[in-house]
Amino acid sequence: MRERAAGWRAQRRRDAWGRRVLLSVVVFALIVPLIWTLLASFQIKPEAHGWPPAWTLPPSAKSYAEVMTEVSGFPRVYATSLIVSITTTLLTIGTAFLAAYSLARWRFRGTRAVVQSFLVLASLPAMAYVIPLSDFTRELHLRDTFAGVALASAAVYAPLAVYILYGYLEQVPRSLEEIAHLEGARLFQIVWKVVVPAAAPGLAATAVLVFVLDWNLFLVPTALTLNHVKTIPVALSDFYTYERELEWSNAAAALTLSLLPVAALVALAHRILEQFSLNPTPRDP
Amino acid sequence: MTTRQHILLLAPLAALLLPFLFWPAVFGFASSFTDYGPAQAHLTLVGLRNYAAVLGNDEVRLAFRNIAIVALVAVPLELGIGFAVAYALRAPFRGRGLVRIVLLIPWLLSPIAVGMMWHFLYGPVGMLNYAAAWFQQPPLPSPLALPGWALAAVIATEIWRKAPLVSFLLLPGVLAVPPDQGEHAMLDGIPLGSRIRHILFPPLRLLLFTVTLLLLGDTLGTFDSVLVLTGGGPGSETLTPALYSFQQAFRAYNWPFGVASAWLIVVATIPLGLGYLALVRPTAK
Repeated sequence: MRERAAGWRAQRRRDAWGRRVLLSVVVFALIVPLIWTLLASFQIKPEAHGWPPAWTLPPSAKSYAEVMTEVSGFPRVYATSLIVSITTTLLTIGTAFLAAYSLARWRFRGTRAVVQSFLVLASLPAMAYVIPLSDFTRELHLRDTFAGVALASAAVYAPLAVYILYGYLEQVPRSLEEIAHLEGARLFQIVWKVVVPAAAPGLAATAVLVFVLDWNLFLVPTALTLNHVKTIPVALSDFYTYERELEWSNAAAALTLSLLPVAALVALAHRILEQFSLNPTPRDP
Repeated sequence: MTTRQHILLLAPLAALLLPFLFWPAVFGFASSFTDYGPAQAHLTLVGLRNYAAVLGNDEVRLAFRNIAIVALVAVPLELGIGFAVAYALRAPFRGRGLVRIVLLIPWLLSPIAVGMMWHFLYGPVGMLNYAAAWFQQPPLPSPLALPGWALAAVIATEIWRKAPLVSFLLLPGVLAVPPDQGEHAMLDGIPLGSRIRHILFPPLRLLLFTVTLLLLGDTLGTFDSVLVLTGGGPGSETLTPALYSFQQAFRAYNWPFGVASAWLIVVATIPLGLGYLALVRPTAK
């Protein structure tokens, strides 16, 4: 028995070491490219010649100034991206939440299959329908407009949001809703005052993740716009297509700026995101 | 809730998805059997001619071979690394929450930004060449321009972006498994592989299938990171079907080819979706 306990302790120590090594390697591999980019955005880059390898110094914020002023319309692109992403997220979450609530409380057997079909729909590459979509928005006079980009982008991630929110709403106990109903509350009041607060953490986490997806969406905005409504991924790909030799420091500065809002959002929402699950399971008491 | 109220709650989602997702998808599918093109007044049926032309194209066949390699190599590795990291994060330690949020960072960058970043990081200013300089080696050529290496570099970039996200998504599932079950099994001398298969896997099943389906769908639609990383080159070595479709539709204005190749991607995703539905059925309530 003692032998087994000793073996078990040795096993635990080995596991702990393996865990530390694996996590260190992974975090290192994750972080180094990002730090390299951040340094380059401040003009700190490895020197091409000489030994030992040196870095270009001193650091300067020149690239940020250049991206903000010389690259035409970057502040405007930034504002456009923010407005489009916020609108799109609200549209996606709003419509998906109501639909997911309807499905989660519908007493017929097919709802689960419907929700799983939404996940299958979410895995459909947008390339499948983006060509007719661009043609269609042109006919609706929505081409190159905020409304067109926001509506079409909202449709891209709505199926995924329905799937996730359904999972959360299924876990929300129904008793409060039933009491509210017996008290004579109307559907709208029940949804707004009972269901939304009860599902708030899941709703907020899903909204943050959908915002990130929208902020980074490229295909739909590029297919639906010409020059008027330009989001950051479209602008980044433009620099790259037209100025094939975009300077690395400027590119790094633009990348860092594009990461900033989503990184700030995730940092703010980290407590909610730690609880996030694609398939939430009921909490054990 | 009455049936009318259920339908009322579903209406906003339907209003969003019908015009901006379902209609373009259905119309797109129908149009792939016609000579649908920009500003076309009359559509003529051409049967399967678009598909025959696309499938007869060497570039397209290469693109499908490439995406099959990416899916078969990148997705299992993303799942494997993602699961290993989630498993390592199972036991609580100081800073675990921070590690979990750090895992999200690569995914916060858009595929366009990731493509741009690694385009430079694989080049003379990147980490590899800095390391080479320490060993007084001449600068290495970027793998993105090296025939035979470019696809591997694209796959590595995909893994860098998505494997940490997989562990972020799998962690809540891994944590939901009661730890004492694993410890009893460990005390009984059951090897790690069987412990994972018989104790950890059953409750994780649904989550694993969900993540796998989303990863496969995302991978089959890969094009924006490749657009910036290599543009499909050298030659057509890193061309993907979605990138081909994008180039045909929005650069060459050859819509029939663009739509037909996009629907070939969908044909590849349909069995995955049906497979998912069949696999998750037994767990449905």
